[in-house]
Amino acid sequence: MAEVDFERRLERMFQDIPAFPDAGEFAERIERRLDRGWATRRWLIGAAGVVGGVLGASQLIMSNVFQRVESAEGSARLLSSSLSQVAPQASLIPDLSAGSGIVWAAMGVAIVMMGFVLTRVIEEI
Amino acid sequence: MPGSKTIRFASLHDVELCTHAAVGERRAFGELVRRHGSSVRGLLRRMGAQPAEADDVAQDAFLTAFERIAEYRGEGSFAGWMKRIAARLYLRKLQRDRKLHLFADESGIEEEIQGGDADAAIDLDEALKTLSPGERICVSLCFAAGLSHGEAAEALNLPLGTVKSHVKRGLDKLRTRLATPQGAASQGRRGNG
Repeated sequence: MAEVDFERRLERMFQDIPAFPDAGEFAERIERRLDRGWATRRWLIGAAGVVGGVLGASQLIMSNVFQRVESAEGSARLLSSSLSQVAPQASLIPDLSAGSGIVWAAMGVAIVMMGFVLTRVIEEI
Repeated sequence: MPGSKTIRFASLHDVELCTHAAVGERRAFGELVRRHGSSVRGLLRRMGAQPAEADDVAQDAFLTAFERIAEYRGEGSFAGWMKRIAARLYLRKLQRDRKLHLFADESGIEEEIQGGDADAAIDLDEALKTLSPGERICVSLCFAAGLSHGEAAEALNLPLGTVKSHVKRGLDKLRTRLATPQGAASQGRRGNG
């Protein structure tokens, strides 16, 4: 019994640690190190984003995206004219001939997706 | 307004602060450091680390804890979780410095227990100095960091029997040392304060 009492007393004594006079300074030092680490991480993510963006843009340019857009417009126009021939009474899609509309819609969706990605990245930061 | 945020954090419970810290709120974690920094630094010093070394390890332990804060789910106290991280980091440091093997066998070491030194103001820190490094670290791990004998043996990479005998010898010495009237009076003062 005395053994247990002594062990409990010892545990209490171990818990009883007076606050160090520089406790506040110690905490601030750790906060500064955390802030530094956080800032570094933010810079790294930003730099990776810029590099990724540059790579993506260069890949777009290199793959003749504008030419592909034009050909997509042509295909859309061809598709709409074929549809009007097959079912001329079906005027439900009268503006499909505006092939560029589809391309713009796709670009809009892509921008919204990029918006989601950016929001997620900012939340992560 | 940073001031109001600090005040808000100061009124929160440890577990709530951990939740804030887990989403990257560094000021919340700073409040935890303010609350428990001294006990972690004190533990490391009681384990035998020099003050500067103890502070370095304590800093690393808090940074590690921030990275792993999501692992703390409020089971047990934050201070206990923190102390276990700090104790393990300190042991790893000793291992790197190749000092850990020194604790393996100290059966030959018998220090003189000066229980009759009536003039000395005896407290736990003083009493711990009479223990051998192995006894000191085993007693600290089991009674301050809250590790079981088995966990301490695993952390120290020592046989369970060695840890048990270190703890037993350490406790015997502490009991003798702290049984003096000065020791009891000193502890009584601390307990009342």
